[in-house]
Amino acid sequence: MEATHDVLVVGAGCAGMRAAIEAFDQGADVALLSKIHPVRSHSGAAEGGINAALGNASEDDPEKHAYDTVKGADYLGDQDAIQALCDEAPEDVYQLERWGAVFSRTEDGRIAQRPFGAAGEPRTAYAADITGHVLVHVLYEQVMKRDIPTYEEYFAWKLVIDDDRCQGVIAWDLLNGGLKTIGAKTVILATGGAGRLYVGTTNAYACTGDAMSMALRVGVPLKDMEMMQFHPTTLAPTGILITEGCRGEGAYLLNSDGDRFLERYAPNAMELASRDVISRAEQTEIDEGRGIDGNVLLDLRHLGAEKIHERLHGTRELSMTYAAVDPIHEPIPVRPGAHYHMGGVDTDLDGLTSITGLYAAGECACVSVHGANRLGGNALMETITFGRRAGRAAAEWALTHTTVSVPPSIEADSMRELGTLLDRRDGERPWAIRDELALTMHQNFGVFRREEQMTEQGRIVARLRERYERVVVDDKGDIFNNDLTQALELGFLLDLAECMIVAGLARKESRGAHARPHDYPDRNDDEFMRHTITTLDEGGRVTLDWKPVTVTKWQPQERNY
Amino acid sequence: MTEAAVHIEPATMLVRLKIWRFNAQTGEKELRDYEIDAPEWACLLDVLDLIKDKVDGTLAYRKSCRMMICGSCGMRMDGKAVLACKERMKPIVDSGHVPVISAMGNLPIVKDLVVDMGPFWNKIKAVKPWLDPGYDEVAERERVVSQQQMNVIHKEALCIMCGCCVSECNSMESDPDFLGPAALAKGMRFVGDARDHDDIGRLNSYNEEHGIWDCTRCYFCNERCPKGVDPRDAIAKLGAESIKQGIDHDMGAKHANWFVTSAKTTGWLRETELVPKTQGVVSAIKQTKFALKLFRHGKVPLPFPPHVAEEVQESRALFDLVKQQGRDGALGIVQGERGLARIDQDAPEGSSGGWGSRDQADITPGKRPTRGKGGEA
Ligand SMILES: Cc1cc2nc3c(=O)[nH]c(=O)nc-3n(C[C@H](O)[C@H](O)[C@H](O)COP(=O)(O)OP(=O)(O)OC[C@H]3O[C@@H](n4cnc5c(N)ncnc54)[C@H](O)[C@@H]3O)c2cc1C
Ligand code: SF4
Ligand code: SF4
Ligand code: FES
Repeated sequence: MEATHDVLVVGAGCAGMRAAIEAFDQGADVALLSKIHPVRSHSGAAEGGINAALGNASEDDPEKHAYDTVKGADYLGDQDAIQALCDEAPEDVYQLERWGAVFSRTEDGRIAQRPFGAAGEPRTAYAADITGHVLVHVLYEQVMKRDIPTYEEYFAWKLVIDDDRCQGVIAWDLLNGGLKTIGAKTVILATGGAGRLYVGTTNAYACTGDAMSMALRVGVPLKDMEMMQFHPTTLAPTGILITEGCRGEGAYLLNSDGDRFLERYAPNAMELASRDVISRAEQTEIDEGRGIDGNVLLDLRHLGAEKIHERLHGTRELSMTYAAVDPIHEPIPVRPGAHYHMGGVDTDLDGLTSITGLYAAGECACVSVHGANRLGGNALMETITFGRRAGRAAAEWALTHTTVSVPPSIEADSMRELGTLLDRRDGERPWAIRDELALTMHQNFGVFRREEQMTEQGRIVARLRERYERVVVDDKGDIFNNDLTQALELGFLLDLAECMIVAGLARKESRGAHARPHDYPDRNDDEFMRHTITTLDEGGRVTLDWKPVTVTKWQPQERNY
Repeated sequence: MTEAAVHIEPATMLVRLKIWRFNAQTGEKELRDYEIDAPEWACLLDVLDLIKDKVDGTLAYRKSCRMMICGSCGMRMDGKAVLACKERMKPIVDSGHVPVISAMGNLPIVKDLVVDMGPFWNKIKAVKPWLDPGYDEVAERERVVSQQQMNVIHKEALCIMCGCCVSECNSMESDPDFLGPAALAKGMRFVGDARDHDDIGRLNSYNEEHGIWDCTRCYFCNERCPKGVDPRDAIAKLGAESIKQGIDHDMGAKHANWFVTSAKTTGWLRETELVPKTQGVVSAIKQTKFALKLFRHGKVPLPFPPHVAEEVQESRALFDLVKQQGRDGALGIVQGERGLARIDQDAPEGSSGGWGSRDQADITPGKRPTRGKGGEA
């Protein structure tokens, strides 16, 4: 064993760093472990903002925030978790400001807030269009201030479970090579999303859902895995995100006829309708021949150069670099792309999973506050609030328990498994499997879903998995061998695809991100207002179960914008 | 198929590259040639990905966001630091140029294009990179600060810690202990933050050996920064602020000239921007608080009306300068500083730089990188 800690946080994005800071402040010996440097985490790419009912731009209160979130989630969110998020969000945002977050300001010097999709009030606090960047850096500043030890460029691969408790992590040390075991009384998973399951995604290369799969493999259930959100404005061809902030500032969505087509889908909210609604509207326009090369147009021109420079500078830079379009003069071609995984590791309100000592927070977790559809600005808030809660709970548990043990057999088994992979000389390299997975997920498990396509995708994933069993890694060296880690990431992605398909087939209704207009066009609260739960059985097969949704005071209503 | 349209086969191009490979285990170093078909929209990073997938899985480089925000993919193209995900290959391919890709400079190489960022982060940590509110402040809500005050550090806050500036830093080449552009820009991010209460302590430490006065003013950092942070300008602001506060213990005569220009151009810092005149009561109080603090340190006279009026004169002049540069507000003032620096460097007329100017890949093969005017596609 390399070292032991009270709390080991796997992943150092907003959720992981917030958790580590909290655990530290509770007096625990905490360490961070991340496959990329903390400030490289994809939280830094968040542009639009973070939701909290600060009431700086209008009369607002947590109750309204909660209602918008419950409705946005298409009633699949757990209302106790949503209430906790919305109640605690304001104080958490103030805390970030006091640590030095460079928020944009109102005329009277308070944190500025802007309108965001499906929110009844302008509630999204922001820092120009680099909110995530600002938060990642302010959190890392606080990590440096506390001198929290960080295992940088360590790739977590396996959880150590012994005596029905999680007692550490086995990780590949990228810079020096070799498997390292870090023991810990409690482990918090915070590895973010899994957008790399799709070709067109707003997610970074690092977003391969690692911890969801690591948890799955030790018997922890995953919840609502079919719920992958498609963001309506991603840039062709890479999927790079164009922030919802554009629409918040008043941008239009146009089809090839130059019509603001949302008039026909969401006449009241128009461009500020919920993401699932807009993504489906766009996909319908494109499918019915009113797209432009598979895209629709996001028009910012009427906002004027000054506003674009001031508020949407980053968007302009992205659009010019990756699509050669200057939004001051031309509309930006956009289309729906895989963006956010509402599903993830099933946890309670303190981030605790089904295994003692194992917690999860952030996008890899499913508490669940986003249900079937996440509202823009709620994910960053979740990372902070639930990161903090998990950090506190894990520290409290760790400080009242003493031992850590990692049986040598677990380390030996991992060595052997990795050795088999590294020693294999003949076979296929992973990239073609990875590309085929991402392309077929996009085609068969995208914005719209059909029974036969999902079934077909199940067969495709099974075949890809067979190929994956014989995969070879080119790089046999120790130093910075990310050829190896990329192969391991593909293994994680295949697990998750399987869970998504099983859950997607079981949910025979349309709810939020799970849209089945051809066979089950309506929401069916009687049968399906409940979470899908996927677990691995003894034989390594994905099995399905259900779990009730927690309803406190909001009964389901029809959702229209 | 609904998404068929999404995957229209893109036009491709044949990309040729040379990459400096390096194996730290064996010490082997070799410049290798690569050739690969890539879609026309490909950036350098996409090309490296294709090479790693289809040609050689042992090629090592860092990446994550592929959208210029995570700072992973700093490396050199033709000897100049770039973000691989920012450099479009089409113009280079069209020109027939075969670029040479290598690891960043001024940092030890781990493997191929991967450098050890340890020394980089140690310098960041050396500038006390966190907000020091000075007392255990439990504000009821958020602190009240005006947007104008926050604008002062807007550029510094854009830094993604990619290391491109450090890679090219002239001074660091001769003095590896020089704090360097990224760390000093981070320092300015706090010195310029109205909420930070340790400016004096910070400035004192940045004034030591290997600090701000060891910058040779080569401007390579400004030129290579992919995010428009302009670290050299941050250093100039730290210098001007140090002088104002009488913290100039390491400043030799060789800097005197520079000081005159800088103090003139960056005189806006803090007393600045006509704050009491143009903003609300709250910020005026903040300003006064700050001034009182300085006054206690015996550094400046109390900035009550007569003094403010003087500053107004100065700021007016600056303002005009800024207008010439085509931008207004605090950001413009920063550019005013650069404007002067550019004149100083014999920059071509009308090159304005700043936010808009980095919207495009600025590699012209075989030429020094140029920065076009903001707004031109
Ligand atoms: C482009 C974009 C824009 C967005 N904009 C917004 C917005 O405006 N508002 C909003 O609320 N939400 C937004 N979101 C969503 C939100 O940013 C994310 O859901 C959130 O930041 C996820 O944070 P996280 O801490 O859970 O994960 P991440 O920030 O992704 O961090 C994951 C961490 O885990 C580490 N890790 C992963 N795997 C391993 C492993 N095997 N071993 C070790 N470490 C590992 C990584 O190194 C990283 O440090 C956006 C998302 C994207 C993609
Ligand atoms: S201007 Fe100064 S800090 Fe910037 S690269 Fe040159 S010597 Fe380094
Ligand atoms: S100042 Fe610019 S070049 Fe230097 S680390 Fe920051 S973003 Fe990179
Ligand atoms: S990959 Fe993130 S900056 Fe280039």
